[in-house]
Amino acid sequence: MSGHKSRSLAVFLITGMLVAGMLTATILTKSWSLFTITILGAALFFFYMDFEYSPASAREIGLIAVLGTIAAVGRVPFSALPGIQPVTFMVITTGFVFGPRAGFMVGSTAAVVSNFFLGQGPWTPWQMLSWGLAGTTAGLVRNRWPRPGSAGRVLFCFAWGYLYGWIMNTWFWTAFVHPLTWKSFLATWAASFWFDTLHALGNAGFYLILGPRMIKVLARFQKKLQVELSDP
Amino acid sequence: MLEHLFYEDKGVLLQNLHSTAILGYLAVFFTLALLFSHPLYLAGIFLVGALAVVTAEALEKWEAYLKAGLWMALLVMLINPLVFHAGKTVIWRSPALPLLGNVSICLEAICYGAAMGIRLLAVLTIFCLASAVVHPDKFLSLFSRFAYKSALVVSLATRMLPAAARELANAREMLQLRGVDFAAGNLKERLKKYSRLLDILLLASLEGALQTAEAMQARAFGSGPRSCYRRELWRPRDLLCLTAGCLALVFSCYARVKGYGDYNYYLQLGVLVPNPASLILLAGILGSLALPLVLSWGWKHWPYLRLKI
Repeated sequence: MSGHKSRSLAVFLITGMLVAGMLTATILTKSWSLFTITILGAALFFFYMDFEYSPASAREIGLIAVLGTIAAVGRVPFSALPGIQPVTFMVITTGFVFGPRAGFMVGSTAAVVSNFFLGQGPWTPWQMLSWGLAGTTAGLVRNRWPRPGSAGRVLFCFAWGYLYGWIMNTWFWTAFVHPLTWKSFLATWAASFWFDTLHALGNAGFYLILGPRMIKVLARFQKKLQVELSDP
Repeated sequence: MLEHLFYEDKGVLLQNLHSTAILGYLAVFFTLALLFSHPLYLAGIFLVGALAVVTAEALEKWEAYLKAGLWMALLVMLINPLVFHAGKTVIWRSPALPLLGNVSICLEAICYGAAMGIRLLAVLTIFCLASAVVHPDKFLSLFSRFAYKSALVVSLATRMLPAAARELANAREMLQLRGVDFAAGNLKERLKKYSRLLDILLLASLEGALQTAEAMQARAFGSGPRSCYRRELWRPRDLLCLTAGCLALVFSCYARVKGYGDYNYYLQLGVLVPNPASLILLAGILGSLALPLVLSWGWKHWPYLRLKI
């Protein structure tokens, strides 16, 4: 077995044992907040490992970093407005053009990088997962239906306004609310309903006004990435 | 605005620890805040966290965190009494409300909400401390050995963000000089004006990404196995801080096994201190967590100690 493979196996084994240990501790202590954080950590780990073992070139890495930066910059001027932010729409657009892996990386990078400047918190890993999943699902939708049409894309952006809010509510609900029932979940969801609605409307608005142009620019760069020089 | 919450080097001990030591210490802090539900334990963790923030000279950052945290804590205190009505000490019973019926507000749910509010503030304080004492590069370098592509993406993006923000401001100024008024028009018109800004930023940055990729390839990126160089040294201060964190974790596990870290909120509030050993263990946990802060004070005021650790 090569050194690279044995190191990868060691990383997987150690992480697996850590996750198993934390899950056991969770079951013993009945701490649902620790349980959700363990699941979240494991999910992020596997998404990142998928990117690590992909044959991503320097161009792809540079492109993902730049798109993550632009999404993060887009977040800064809107940080004072509750719910309205262009990150979700940008991540979804990236997923539509570059596929699920790039979509996840751009979403999670935008979350972690923007929070270095806007403030890291317990929300950071959840934002990484939420935006990452928005990009991933956009890529998966593109793989399944390559031409969903403008209405389909607007609907998708709108739906992610609510989905993002529900995922973000999970940590709040499991860590700070008791008992964990449908009633308490609905109360938490109701508390964030207006923020989620503004987010969903903002996503749809951003896509309608900025989406087609952004897709055109990104598609052009995707073609540039695929250019290969062959020997004469 | 961008630099407001970013890492600032203030030369305090917590900023001069090995990344493994400081992240281990912070991870213990965070785990303890989620592990305990006893109000005294939660309040103790919050107070030591506050002391750590003061030691790290990050009061300005903490203020921003507390502003956001207090609203969230208020929400926690509001939701809990509204969703749980089975407590034995009913303080107020509402008249029949549409959909909800008679809502009973119980003392137990209010106390649980207050304790969870303290937990939330403690967690936010720990994250504020982390952002004040851990440089993003130090944090990312930990992952560079086994996840170098992801670490590189985040590292590149962190470097590019202030430059991209400046580029955005420059493009905005340039458009304003050409007569574009970003404040005029309805929301749709203003968004259209902003879309031009996005265009400029996208095209300039994507071209820049290709140049970055060429520079990476010119430096042999991806041509073979990577080597790794670490500049960080493991010093006695790292061992002391990590040991303090581990000690706090051991005391906490013992407290948890003995049931001291738990508190019975429902159906009736339990006794706050059922056993004096609970307070002794709490003192042990807080003392262990505070040890790096005492060292930090010594590091600042006692040159001999600074030399030795």
